[in-house]
Amino acid sequence: MPATLFLADGTRFDGEALGQPALAIGEAVFYTGMTGYEEALTDPSYAGQILNFTYPMIGNYGISGRAAQHSRACVAGAVIKRIARKPSHWALTQDLPSWLEDQAVPTIIGVDTRALTVALREHGTILGALALGEEALATAEQRLADAVRTRTTLGLVASVAQASAHTRHGEGNGPHVVLLDCGVKRAILRDLTALGARVTVLRYDASAEQILAERPDALFISPGPGDPTDLPETIATLQGLLECLPIFGVCLGHQLLALACGARTYKLPYGHRGGNQPVQDLQRKMVFITAHNHGYAVDGATLPAELEATMINLNDNTNEGFRHRRLPVAAVQFHPEASPGPYDARALFREWLATLKVAA
Amino acid sequence: MELLGVEQPANMALRKILVIGSGPIVIGQAAEFDYAGVQACRALKEEGHTVVLVNSNPATIMTDPGVADAVYLEPLTVPSLEAIIARERPDALLPTLGGQTGLNLAVELFEGGVLERYQVELLGTPVDTITLAEDRARFKEAMIAIGEPVPDSVIVTEVDAGVSFAQKVGYPLVVRPAFTLGGTGGGVVYNESELRETLSAGLAASIIHQALVETSLLGWKEVEYEVLRDKADNCIIVCNMENIDPVGVHTGDSIVVAPSQTLSDEEFQMLRTSSINVIRALKVQGGCNIQFALHPHRSEYRIIEVNPRVSRSSALASKATGYPIAKISTKIALGYTLDQILNPVTGVTTAAYEPTLDYVVVKFPRFPFDKFPRADVRLGTQMKSTGEAMGIGRTLQAALMKAVRGLDLGRETLGDNPVAQWSDDALEGVLVQPTHERFFAVAEALRRGKDVAALAELSSIDPFWLWEIAELVALEERLKTGQATPADVQQACQCGYSRRGIAQLQGLPENRSLDSLAPAAFRMVDTAAAEFPARSPYYYLSYGEADEMRVPPREAVVVVGSGPIRIGQGIEFDYSCVHAAWALDAAGFAPVVVNNNPETVSTDFDVSDVLIFEPPGADEVQAAYEATGARGVMLSFGGQTAINLADQLADRGVRIIGSDRRSLAMAEDRGKFDAALTRLGVARPEGYAALSFRKAREIARELGFPVLVRPSFVLGGRGMEVIYNEGQLASYAESAPPIRPEAPLLVDKYLRGLEVEVDAVFDGHDILIPGIFEHIERAGIHSGDSISVYPTQTIDQAMEQRILTVTRAIAEELEIRGLINIQFVIHEGTLYIIEANPRASRTVPIISKATGINLVAAATRVALGEKLKDLPYGTGLAPKAPFVVVKVPVFSFAKMRGVETILGPEMKSTGEVLGIDATFGGALRKGFIGAGIRLPAEGARVLVSISDEEKLDAVPTMRRYAALGFTLIATPGTRRVLEEAGIPSEAVNKIQAGSPHVLDLLIGRQVDLVINNASGRREISDNYKIRRAAVEAGVACLTSLDTAQALVGALEATAGPPCPLQEYDMPGFAVQAPG
Repeated sequence: MPATLFLADGTRFDGEALGQPALAIGEAVFYTGMTGYEEALTDPSYAGQILNFTYPMIGNYGISGRAAQHSRACVAGAVIKRIARKPSHWALTQDLPSWLEDQAVPTIIGVDTRALTVALREHGTILGALALGEEALATAEQRLADAVRTRTTLGLVASVAQASAHTRHGEGNGPHVVLLDCGVKRAILRDLTALGARVTVLRYDASAEQILAERPDALFISPGPGDPTDLPETIATLQGLLECLPIFGVCLGHQLLALACGARTYKLPYGHRGGNQPVQDLQRKMVFITAHNHGYAVDGATLPAELEATMINLNDNTNEGFRHRRLPVAAVQFHPEASPGPYDARALFREWLATLKVAA
Repeated sequence: MELLGVEQPANMALRKILVIGSGPIVIGQAAEFDYAGVQACRALKEEGHTVVLVNSNPATIMTDPGVADAVYLEPLTVPSLEAIIARERPDALLPTLGGQTGLNLAVELFEGGVLERYQVELLGTPVDTITLAEDRARFKEAMIAIGEPVPDSVIVTEVDAGVSFAQKVGYPLVVRPAFTLGGTGGGVVYNESELRETLSAGLAASIIHQALVETSLLGWKEVEYEVLRDKADNCIIVCNMENIDPVGVHTGDSIVVAPSQTLSDEEFQMLRTSSINVIRALKVQGGCNIQFALHPHRSEYRIIEVNPRVSRSSALASKATGYPIAKISTKIALGYTLDQILNPVTGVTTAAYEPTLDYVVVKFPRFPFDKFPRADVRLGTQMKSTGEAMGIGRTLQAALMKAVRGLDLGRETLGDNPVAQWSDDALEGVLVQPTHERFFAVAEALRRGKDVAALAELSSIDPFWLWEIAELVALEERLKTGQATPADVQQACQCGYSRRGIAQLQGLPENRSLDSLAPAAFRMVDTAAAEFPARSPYYYLSYGEADEMRVPPREAVVVVGSGPIRIGQGIEFDYSCVHAAWALDAAGFAPVVVNNNPETVSTDFDVSDVLIFEPPGADEVQAAYEATGARGVMLSFGGQTAINLADQLADRGVRIIGSDRRSLAMAEDRGKFDAALTRLGVARPEGYAALSFRKAREIARELGFPVLVRPSFVLGGRGMEVIYNEGQLASYAESAPPIRPEAPLLVDKYLRGLEVEVDAVFDGHDILIPGIFEHIERAGIHSGDSISVYPTQTIDQAMEQRILTVTRAIAEELEIRGLINIQFVIHEGTLYIIEANPRASRTVPIISKATGINLVAAATRVALGEKLKDLPYGTGLAPKAPFVVVKVPVFSFAKMRGVETILGPEMKSTGEVLGIDATFGGALRKGFIGAGIRLPAEGARVLVSISDEEKLDAVPTMRRYAALGFTLIATPGTRRVLEEAGIPSEAVNKIQAGSPHVLDLLIGRQVDLVINNASGRREISDNYKIRRAAVEAGVACLTSLDTAQALVGALEATAGPPCPLQEYDMPGFAVQAPG
């Protein structure tokens, strides 16, 4: 079945459809990791995005389930050069093509993914329509034009955050952490609980009262999809809590916390998505190779006097972390929990939890 | 390299820095260290340091006078290095770029107090780390201390200790000797007798007489990580690689894929984290290679080995990613941190960055078994390959097929090989016990319908790889049916097949227009998967995708490379290609290099304006030519590989610059060449081309034995033999490949005279011969295996003039425009021509270095249309140098179990060294020492066994050995002759006479040198055993009386002090630039 990815600037990339006829509209972005497709496809931060894999051989080790970061695939669509129909791995439970079909992820294969990456790099992030089958192909360009007019990132967080009011994780005797779920990855819960933390997960729209009612030792703001300025209520809630609780933010959490402290955020030309971003820890003068997945960034120049930049990206000098000079408030833009990606910065969670123990 | 606005570290004042190279090419240590060394020297010079380089290998780029400020082509021994250090007084030594040889020497210099005595600082990774990584016991302890898993093992210094460990843990076990190259002497053993045999050989091969015996990880996945660390503890992974061959086959002999394909992200990161733990614990500063075994069925791994230096794998990783590990390692050794160094590929990011790939890379080993029919072809922990080909493709299949084609074995498809004729049982045998043909056996088994699960069970190869190969096999079968669709043909293009291969499968002539071929597109290797724009001009080919070629602003010229290193076509051709690229650049052209050898300097994107990393095949060269709008392609620098493309390229309308296809064809066409020689009045050994073995016999009878037979169009004398009688001819016919009409068998009268060799440049009018080489061994031993001397020692001026005249006449007749190499034999005062090659040769770098005349530059300019008289290289026969240069071949027999070591017309050496001295004797002495021959000291014992034909000739030489105070031990026949000549000797039994016999002496280490030249078939088995025993015992074994005579000359002489190339009074330096 024919398939095409149309970009809003008129360029198109032809390939072959995987699975059923479908049409997906979303922001076209690229992920540069050479492994970790299962984690990426289930990463809530990719909600609403058509994910182009720059690595050309995807699916070699199948789907294990244990690598998943969410209960389902979160991407709007996938673009792959060559997909493995005969994977091999001791942990695999399913091959990638059938899983993508089961998850109803519109997928195009056989695409010149490098040419697409160059287009996204040069144009910047752009809306795309992924059309599978004749019917979708016929309507895709019109639907894309409509979407460009009405484009919004609103509702992305709501689409991936947990539905229930709260869930509890971990039975350790470490600190009790409330995790504000904007689209949390399972790896964060895995890492925090493995370090002994008891974690209560509340939805991103929980109020300060609801959070404090859990009597937590600290608050953790999760990663998630979209533009942080879409969540003014959450930002206001955080503002109210700055003086009450130790707070740590990751990725979207980092951006929300920065906004709550008075800094500004902006949209990156084409984002950071992959597992090879060099981040320099300005105190330790050390470089971590880190996992990233974000289209927005904190504007380091707008950090208020009370915030101190702690980390920067060596590729483009974007802000990668800050801490409050007076309060136990800190955040990082990258993903210490990796999954997918390198574990260089994994110690950050342990170090943060250790400060909580001292405080208690 | 640009650095990011940082102050130089405090300890980085401009200094004099010593770099040690890796010496001659041997199995396990090849051109990768030339690549690393050149990068290191350049990086040091960029920083303004003065570089002193020591390397005995003359075929390298790193020993070019322009690469370092002082280049010492001197033996790599402690005394030699100490003399150089005393002379140069360097401030610091960079030890980690010269392979294991350089590393071991640095440790010896340190431990011997030399570095302290001369206050030489060791840069980079500390000595303690170097010794720890090599000392198995300490390494194991260090790994256990940081919680990293290593296989259960025991370190032994005697065989019995290994056996008692085996009784505890069972078999199979792996034996790994400490401090050796390429796994010499190691292996997998399945029972006690194998353990005893391998362990005893391994202990002998170990400098510290120590070996590790460990539980086998056979069948586990083998994965490597290339890691960099700086002094601030920043660590990055440049690349990981996964071997298709599971643990059990040396990684140098394995098919290696980058990045890993079957590892989940969790596994990838688990091993990445472990790599960083290890490199931090070891405090490595610079590059490091870590080898892992990963369990195929659970999340469990073991660290197999750590190399705290640049290596073959780091060269591969550099070429696979574009990240120049050796260069960055050098900067780190100087004190920079990764974040202070700019990524030279993107020009915008820093070196503190991990490359990510959007293509797949496959490395395929190139084995020398085509030249060694008696060799043990089984693969194990002892490396046996001489070189490698790398393929880059958008998919694994494309990369695989490019690597297979790039081996230059004439295999265009998976079925295009002898394995197709094997029985099912033979296939199965190779699946279980791997040989060099296993990959092809897998494909053949799949073709015969064997299922993937069964193959995976037999071979332990992960089913992922098998499925990928199965798809290729199915595609080939579809193309063969004649029902192939245009989509199938396009798929074949995208899977890395050549036009020739596709036509072959379809049973069509190659030149048929293939409309359905997918269009070629050049893609960049950019370290960043297109996330950042790259500025490095490093490309590979993909089909049916967007083209990214940036056509260079200057007019382009394509230089075709020589592919993987093999016996007969080594690093010398890479030297020529690099110099051609540099000469083009100097002449105002944009050099475009097409080559696929990941080890070499020519595939460094710094060398050319456009690097196309592809097999040097017709499709790829044509695509390069068309895409860059090149003026033409140069074939004569890339050895026979490139020359063989002439017809195909000319047929496709590709312009060949320099000697054209007619010159190239005529040199090989016996009939035409003979006619030309007759016209010119030049003699050659009488001979004819035979199209059948029966015809060959007739020719031999007519000429009279002995005759020299060889197939035409081959390299390095493959299949060449001196035949003394009809019986030998019959057995040759049995073992030789069938004669094909387009490549007849050449049968020549064998003349046992003095062999001389010239390399010349001809411009259509003038000829330039920098110098004439004279061989020590008489004709009959391949020129690559002969010791050769410049300037000539025994030829008079009239003969030299004759050589000049004949060379010019032949060059004119062949319409040479550029290089020509001619081998002559002088027999009873007459000059005969043996062969003429219209291309670069093994001796080009040597004569260029010995005379200071850049022969390749001259040839390149001439090929572009310039005249020698307008160029600064001179014309005619250059004046002789006032010093002597001796090239001594180096063999890798210790790595090649079972190989016959006697020299003959078929080439066997893997590398060479140079000795330079004021006198012939001194140069010989340095040459022998450099070649690793332990010169026997007074009182040494020499085992002599001379063939009947040469017994009398041997007497004067033997007398000289006796006069030096050596004890001669002779087999009965030889002893009789010595006695009659009044030379004292001890008797020793031949093998059949019973113990104690010659082998007992060798095994008991009671011999310091062996001279054994008996090649007659009748004696072959006994003498073969003696020679092999010498190799196993590590005793030098000379198989030609001429070599023995040269050695005694060297022993009688004293060598002068070391002297850098730049200080010799070279003929070329006298030549003034015109105007």
